[in-house]
Amino acid sequence: MGSTHCIKFFTLYLLLKNITCTQGNSCNGTASERIEYEYTTDIVRSEYIITFTGYYMKASRENYVSAALKNAGIKNWTMVTRENRAKDLPSDFEVITLNDNHKAALDALRDHPAVRRVTAQRQVQRTIKYINEDDCQSPECLYAGWRQFRRRSRVLNSLRKPHENDGYSSRKLLRTVPRQITSVLKADVLWSLGVTGEGIKVAVFDTGLSRNHPHFGHIRERTDWTGEKTLDDALGHGTFVAGVIASKADCLGFAPDAELHIFRVFTDNQVSYTSWFLDAFNYAIMKKIDVLNLSIGGPDFMDHPFVDKVWELTANKVIMVSAIGNDGPLYGTLNNPADQMDVIGVGGIGFDDRIAKFSSRGMTTWELPHGYGRMKPDIVTYGSGVRGSSLNGGCRSLSGTSVASPVVAGAIALLASGVPRQNLTPAAVKQALCITARRLQGPNMFEQGHGKLDLISAYQFLREYEPQASLSPPYIDLTECQYMWPYCTQPLYYSGQPTIANITIINGLGVAGNVKHVTWHPHLPNGLILSVSMEHIDIIWPYSGWLALRFSVLESGADFDGIVEGHINVTVESFDVSFRQKTRNMTLMLPIRARVIPVPLRSRRLLWDQFHSLRYPGGYFPRDDLRAKHDPLDWHADHIHTNFRDMYLRLREHGYYVEVMGSPLTCINTSLYGALLLVDPEDEYFPEEMAALKKAVDSGLSLIVFADWYNASLLRHVKFYDENTRQWWIPETGGANIPALNDLLSIFQVALGDRVFEGTFTLGGHTMYYASGTHIHSFPEHGVLVNAQLVDQGQQIMSGGKPSGNAKSNLPTVDVPILGLLQTDGETKDYSNDTMDKLPKAGRLVVYGDSSCLESGAGRPCHWLLLAALQYALGGHVPTSLKEAASKHRDVHIIPSELPQRAEGGRLHAYSRVLAADGSGPRPIPECEDISPLVASPVQAPPAARTLAPRHHPTDPRSIGAPETEGTEPAPRAWRGAGVAPAKQRSDSEEHSSYSNRALMFIAISAIIYCTVIFWKRYGRKMKRRKLISLAT
Amino acid sequence: MFYAALLRFIRRPLVLGIIFASSLTYCIVSFLKEGTNKSMIYQDVSMQHKPFVWRTLQEHNETVDIECRNSVQGRALIVDDRGYVCERTGIGKNGCCIIEAEDTSRYSCQSCNEDHCCIIYEYCVSCCLDPKQRNMLQVVLSKLTVEEHVLVHSLADDYELCLTKCRTSSHSVLHENSYKDPGHKHCFGSTPAETKMES
Repeated sequence: MGSTHCIKFFTLYLLLKNITCTQGNSCNGTASERIEYEYTTDIVRSEYIITFTGYYMKASRENYVSAALKNAGIKNWTMVTRENRAKDLPSDFEVITLNDNHKAALDALRDHPAVRRVTAQRQVQRTIKYINEDDCQSPECLYAGWRQFRRRSRVLNSLRKPHENDGYSSRKLLRTVPRQITSVLKADVLWSLGVTGEGIKVAVFDTGLSRNHPHFGHIRERTDWTGEKTLDDALGHGTFVAGVIASKADCLGFAPDAELHIFRVFTDNQVSYTSWFLDAFNYAIMKKIDVLNLSIGGPDFMDHPFVDKVWELTANKVIMVSAIGNDGPLYGTLNNPADQMDVIGVGGIGFDDRIAKFSSRGMTTWELPHGYGRMKPDIVTYGSGVRGSSLNGGCRSLSGTSVASPVVAGAIALLASGVPRQNLTPAAVKQALCITARRLQGPNMFEQGHGKLDLISAYQFLREYEPQASLSPPYIDLTECQYMWPYCTQPLYYSGQPTIANITIINGLGVAGNVKHVTWHPHLPNGLILSVSMEHIDIIWPYSGWLALRFSVLESGADFDGIVEGHINVTVESFDVSFRQKTRNMTLMLPIRARVIPVPLRSRRLLWDQFHSLRYPGGYFPRDDLRAKHDPLDWHADHIHTNFRDMYLRLREHGYYVEVMGSPLTCINTSLYGALLLVDPEDEYFPEEMAALKKAVDSGLSLIVFADWYNASLLRHVKFYDENTRQWWIPETGGANIPALNDLLSIFQVALGDRVFEGTFTLGGHTMYYASGTHIHSFPEHGVLVNAQLVDQGQQIMSGGKPSGNAKSNLPTVDVPILGLLQTDGETKDYSNDTMDKLPKAGRLVVYGDSSCLESGAGRPCHWLLLAALQYALGGHVPTSLKEAASKHRDVHIIPSELPQRAEGGRLHAYSRVLAADGSGPRPIPECEDISPLVASPVQAPPAARTLAPRHHPTDPRSIGAPETEGTEPAPRAWRGAGVAPAKQRSDSEEHSSYSNRALMFIAISAIIYCTVIFWKRYGRKMKRRKLISLAT
Repeated sequence: MFYAALLRFIRRPLVLGIIFASSLTYCIVSFLKEGTNKSMIYQDVSMQHKPFVWRTLQEHNETVDIECRNSVQGRALIVDDRGYVCERTGIGKNGCCIIEAEDTSRYSCQSCNEDHCCIIYEYCVSCCLDPKQRNMLQVVLSKLTVEEHVLVHSLADDYELCLTKCRTSSHSVLHENSYKDPGHKHCFGSTPAETKMES
């Protein structure tokens, strides 16, 4: 079988986050949806709320406070003024700011007779979201839906709940939503210059649009690709998206005079197939569409026909704009096609200029495990509470990156109509948006990309555009926090795994080009210790390519502590037809700055195994939590900078240096590391790796394993039918590949079992949640085991998924060994009282049966457990919390279990990096990649400015000029048409012809009536007479 | 006087009959047409019934001062509407491939197999433009028009047909997210690509 077995699902991004206060947060299964409140509270430092015993005027309140604090001798305080209408009325509380000596002040205040209590000021943010019962997380609707799972595209249905903006009266936490999105982005400035989107063909790939919607004037075409025999929108998604782009009335769109081409590619049930898209895309190429909006997406970036087609569109000069996804705030949640380097991927922000919570973020994950992700989204814009057209002809407010994407598409259509046609290549437009974007303070580059859309500056940039190439990001400052997160969180040092920066080249010189040469210029005196190696794409096509830089420190810098600088010159070459038949060169300068520290101690250095992590797309790799049936695929990449980001932050806080292993273990010098982290591995291991690991552990490397569930019959049980590919999908592994892990751990006589457990328990004073995990099947006598009372989830699912319910106590719980600590070469004991040299030479092993709790977004994170495990693994010290929990009896066989077997007929070999594709066992171990570094040509240069970020000054809206074309007739395209015959004079729209048709029909019908009447008049009487005669005779 | 005569004329049974019959025919025909339109192509597009033109070899050869259309998209190659394939650098200012250039070839079926499926898009178009393929393409076109396909209605000549036919489309995919044949995926034949199984 040659097909890649993976599921394709697109989602329409429309997320409703109306702030409505409605009661009902129980999951009773009757209501089709409920509302969930989510609180985040932060204590505001040094601000306190003083509650008084009664209501007092402001002056007396002030007197009380000052009297109390004066007695305590505290002078350094201020009252927080509350500017509201209640300020003249008596109140029972006051907010004050204390600058020092908080404790004494608080005591004094509490002693005051008029003060009831003093509490810390909290900043409460509350968001309310609709939760569909299908997504219910509570145990009552626990397993009901596994087999009926029907792709994520269903989510739209549940979230798409129309709520008119004016229908509620509740408090808003966001700043007041402006009436028109267009005026926030100053589109009206361009309108006043006569730039209205005229002559620009905008394609909307969505759920269709009704012909007679009052908001639209220039619907040039509507086509249906779903075979549903309708062109109208039944969902409101397509109407809203088209409205943001080109609405003429009420809630205005950006380009009211743009030509709309509506492509209906989603059915009313939000079903869509790649093949529909392919045909519709071909038609869009044929029609020479200028801007194409895709408010859709899915995690399947390995859908090659689709991905290739998107590239083909860009190569045909179609400017592709797509929504980055609504899967935030988790990292590693970028959606295709927005994550393609040629597409303009748009993220969402609120009107308060903060990244919207729903907006997907994190690097792209195509490049893992060997490389590192690209920066996405490209830009962000308003996507929260934006007003747009509704189905019934009115307006509504919606949120989602689905909304942000047409804001950008509409903005492009608008500015495109005011600039010369030859400036309108996908690369030029992307450069205009990215280079002029305003950077937001706070979010990092994997959240905001280049920053917030600045329409006016982009317009000015594109008007004066000179074909050029550019780099994204335009500089690499590995020291700059927050923007260059995560680079800025961990400095470079000698012998570390290289830090990789994946740069996107946007090439405005032509469709195809190539990287001619790259030179590295370290700045003297310190730059010489930095080594840079480089890989790049062969042909920069379409208009975009990648350039990966690996930074490492040379041995001469092993003791260096400080900042190093340098720059890289990249020469991009392109042959351009429209430019005097010549090959054009452009050299780009990429400034680089990095912080280098001396090599950290071995016991501080951790190695994160990325190489053995497999994920969706590619194969069906299920999530580690079996209850996550609404999103059953493991697609967040399992990287320390994506879904294990919170864990990474905790490790860095505690002074650990985490390096990513993107190659087999045999390529790594393990003697440099204190511990190897194997978290949620899905792949098999090379025999050479097992031998290398044994050797490494014997010489002091510790091993920390966070495993997950695996059970062959459960795997068959959680299969589901995928409507998109019309196939049954069976998982390739469980949460983790336990059989492979058991092979690896067999060298320590450790094995994990095939039963699946779940439950809440307390360990070391922390409440823990064990979300679908395995258990320890066998463990050496001298190890330490920790047990927990858990529910047999595997059996529960297999027996038909009876809800466990709130009455947890009714369910039989089992005492399960879940955590094991082992000194691999001797007695496992606490060595904390001994000196370091008494510590056994060999490393230690820590095994835990569940990895979901380490992921970001876990309900009960277990980072503390990882830290405790590291404490033991690196120092031999058993933390007291675990020591107390260790079970007295070390019998692992307290529960009957089997060793998990590899699923028969499994297809893991089709996706594995270790197994040969023909299923004959492990392939020969790949050679360790060794990219030769760039030759350094040092230059003398003064230290760079504080920030390396290039400044682009925003354009003053008053200063821009009207377009030369005056928006009357679109300037002729400078490029040779994409295969379509030179446009003929368009006969005056088909509306005209349909009118004449109707008129002709009317005339014909009246003629028929006239004739009948005359005939009747003349011959009817005769007939009657004849009848009478015949009757008479 | 004249008016009365006219009135009398159109009240003649024969004239009335003709008017009646023709109006009725028109009504029936247009109703039928609308009906088929609705069921066959339910698309709201501005149809300019451009007749499909098979360009002759002579038209292919009109060079020198004419301008060519070409496939804009190529990574390395470009094919023009005369059937020449050339390197990107071998494109003249008029959009035509420079015939004298070393790598320029005409009606080249390089990388194509006997099923009319090619690895490289530009060679697919070039091969398809070969007048020898005319008969087969006519079959292809007739098959296409039977399908209720809005795409076909916007095709103007053989060059556009070849450009469109060689693109990957709904006929190229297996299980929606993979190619039937990841190698020879650009086809212009009357049968869609054969499913090619990987080992």
